[in-house]
This record gives sequence, C-alpha cells and structure tokens, in this order.
Amino acid sequence: MKYVFQFGIVWDHLPQLAAGAWLTLRLALGAFALGLALALLLAYLRTAGPKPLRAVIVAYVEFIRNTPFLVQLFIIYFSLPAAGVRFDAGEAALLGMSLNFSGYATEILRSGIEAVPRSQIEAGHSLGFSQLDIYRHIIVFPALQTVYPALASQFVLLMLGSSIVSAISVNELTGIINTLQSTTFRAFEFYFVATAIYLLMALCARLLLDAIYWWIFRRGRPAGGAWAR
Amino acid sequence: MNRRDILIGAATGAAGIAALAAAADSALAQQPAPAPVAGGTLDRIIKEKKLRVTAEVTSPPFGILDRNNQPDGSEIETARQLARDLGVEIEHVQVTGPQRIPALLAGRADVAISSLSITFDRAKTVMFAPPHGALSIVIAGPKKVRIRSAADMAGKKIGLTRATLEEATIPGMAPPGTNIVYFDDIAATMQAMVSGQVDAAGMSAFAAKSVGDRNPKAEIENKFTARTAFYAAAVRPGDFDLLQFLRTWVFLNRNNGVLAQIYKKYTEVALVDLPVL
Repeated sequence: MKYVFQFGIVWDHLPQLAAGAWLTLRLALGAFALGLALALLLAYLRTAGPKPLRAVIVAYVEFIRNTPFLVQLFIIYFSLPAAGVRFDAGEAALLGMSLNFSGYATEILRSGIEAVPRSQIEAGHSLGFSQLDIYRHIIVFPALQTVYPALASQFVLLMLGSSIVSAISVNELTGIINTLQSTTFRAFEFYFVATAIYLLMALCARLLLDAIYWWIFRRGRPAGGAWAR
Repeated sequence: MNRRDILIGAATGAAGIAALAAAADSALAQQPAPAPVAGGTLDRIIKEKKLRVTAEVTSPPFGILDRNNQPDGSEIETARQLARDLGVEIEHVQVTGPQRIPALLAGRADVAISSLSITFDRAKTVMFAPPHGALSIVIAGPKKVRIRSAADMAGKKIGLTRATLEEATIPGMAPPGTNIVYFDDIAATMQAMVSGQVDAAGMSAFAAKSVGDRNPKAEIENKFTARTAFYAAAVRPGDFDLLQFLRTWVFLNRNNGVLAQIYKKYTEVALVDLPVL
C-alpha cells in the first residue's frame, strides 16, 4: 500500500491555520508578559523577602516545576468551577501558561540575581540608593542580561508547550490541526504542516529575541569592558 | 546564539521535516509487509498468530480500563471474539478517539474495532465491514439547561469530542449562534459537562447514561436524539482478504447470537436488527 499525500486540502484551510497560529502567538506572548512580571516579584521576595514568605515561594516554584502542565491546566479548567471559580477555556489557558512560566522564570531570575556580586549592591547602599532603585538598576538589569538566553529558551518552550491547551478546547494551532485532521482524515499532511509552522515560529522567535537582546543590552555600549558578552 | 546558528538551525529543521516526510512515506509504503504470495494481511495474521486491534479505552461502554488497568468493554470483547475465531493472539493497540483511523492507516493495527460509525467521510479512507452494533447520538446536559430540539442550541455552549460521530453530526444541525467547542476524548467532554464548562454535550446515549449514573448530583438528562448510527470494523484500503473474512465473521456471529450477547452484556440494551452493508 502506498499513501498518497494530498496537500491541497491543507491550503483550503489556510485561514483557519493562520488564526490558530495567531492565537498560539498571542497566548505565548501574554503568558510570557504576565509570567515574567509575576516572576520578577517572586524572585525579589524569594531573595529579599521575610523568611516565611520565602518558604511559600519555594513551595510554589517546586509545585509548578514538579507537576505536569496538563494537570495544572485541568485543575484550573475542570476543578476550580467546583469551588465556584469559573474561567472559560482561553482564560484558563492564559492563566495556566502564565503560572507555569512564572515558576520556571522565578528560578531562572533567582540564579541571575544571586550572580550579581554582593559588592555592587553594597556600593549602591553606600551611594544612598533606595531599596527599589538598587533592585531595579543594580540587580534586575544585569541579572536579566545574565539569564536572558535561558529566558529566551524558556519562551520558545512556552510557545511550543502551548499546544497542550488544545486539551481544554482552546482553538490554538494544535487544536485547529486536531479538528481539521479528524474531519478530513488527512492526519499526515496536517501534522507535517503543523510541524513546519511551529518550527518557523520558533526560529522567528529566536531571531527576534536575539535582536531584542542586542537592542536592550548591547546598543550604544562600548565594545569590551564590563558589558562584553 | 548568533545569526549563523539560526541559519544552520533553519536548514537542519527543514532537512528534518523533509526526512520525516520521506521516512513516513517509505514506512507507509512498506506496511503492512506484503506477503510474497497471494493474500496479504490476513495470511500474515494467521502466520504470525497475532491480530493487532485498536483499543480505545476512554469511551464507555465500548472501551474502558478495568480495575486491573486491562482493556474491557463491548468493542474490546468483540475484538477478542474476532481473535478467538481466527485462532490467534490479540494485541490491543491503545489509541485515543482521533487516532483510531490514523493508527490503522499507519499500520500500527491490522483492524480498527473502536465503535467506528459508518460515514461517507470515513469510507473515503478506510473500508468498512458490515455493522456489528448500533448507537444513538444524543445531546445531554444538566436538567436546568433548557434544550428540547436542535434549534434550542442557539446561544448555548455545546461540547463535542473530536473525530467522533457527534462531531460529524451536530455541527451540521446546529443553528447559527451555537458555540461548539472540541475536546480530545470523551472523558474531557463529560468532565466539561459535569463541571458546567459547557451547557450541554453531544455523545452516545450510553456515554450519557454512564456519566449520569456516576454523577447523580449533576442531574444529567438526554435532551434529544440527533442520530442513530451503526458502527463496524474497518480495515486499510486494499485489504480485501481481511475484509472478506470480517464479512463472513459478522454473518456467522450475528446468526449465532454472539454479537447480541456482547452488546447486551455491556450496554444493558438489546441489539437492534443490523442492516447489511
């Protein structure tokens, strides 16, 4: 038996595929922004907050990083309604992805924050910087530069991992692909195209993230010296 | 990462996809390994003494996992009966609903026996044996949701499972304004209905009964019957030897009452007269 590939049917559904890819991108960007904001707060409290709070944050990070994303998603979407908290599928997906990302990002940021030499922070104190200014200018900015490659990788993982939210009926790229292949029975064609779209999106994201790194951290800095990579 | 890395990555990725396509193509071309003499899949099954059948285990009462995590259900029992009648061992190839036909086409299973209803769309990709069971597709939902006919679905959120008969039936009869959402397996669809994430859901009457029995508080009831359909075993296009055996097998087991017995045991409903395909 020889399978005959029929890619024509894929092009017929191009608008749906584009809509799915667009939703995937929006979910990834939204979760990245929300997750990173939460992680910046958590990473700060994790390193400088009161002891009991630090323990809570450690527990949160370990919970997120040691339970399957799918299960976290099911808890938000299927279990919370029993407690009277109802999110629709898109909201549940964004919330789940943000929380999941914040767990990993907190740990990544913590490593960056701890890599900032103590003497620089002390220098900030002796120059009369406020606690917030020290955190913003002396800790977070260099820490972000240190961990930027790790965060960028994590973003790509986040975008690819968003395929899981199709399980709670979100029509992102994988959800669209699953519905299309199940109604047209052209599984191979649609999965090949899905692979290509994800690959393209991941590579574009990496190029873009590289450009952003350059724009934020390298632009206008003298070559070599403290800012050398 | 610098620009060169990315270009190399892109090139590698593109090559990877091409290789994947080529590999899948050749794998499909080779499977099932054609016998050198007349016949094919049927001869191979008898020679290897092993029949590989799809087993969807998230779709009561057709396929479930029993307390020992072993496949059970009417379609599993039907598949076992087929293996017994062939005099071979059975290998259950676990699949999700949407994987039933892809698993068959990819050669992972020799025959799909997973409550596959006979439809035009499916008949374009696989060959159906005569039906060995019947099922009704209903819209089910909590008592408080007011739906009496298809027209009442307007403005409601209706859950469906991908690659099922309900997916092939409900969207066509739903009025404009119906919000249809899709899940990958019937367990997720049921859960969405019980937790109120959807107003109602399309599923087989058996599935609706099973979810209603297990969640008495949710007060699940059948709103209306969308369609009654017949399901059958399916084989890859071209496997006429296996298909002819299945025709004979359905004929014999329909006449000796074995099919009706299996159906009654798992669904607690008497099997209707099966039409001839």
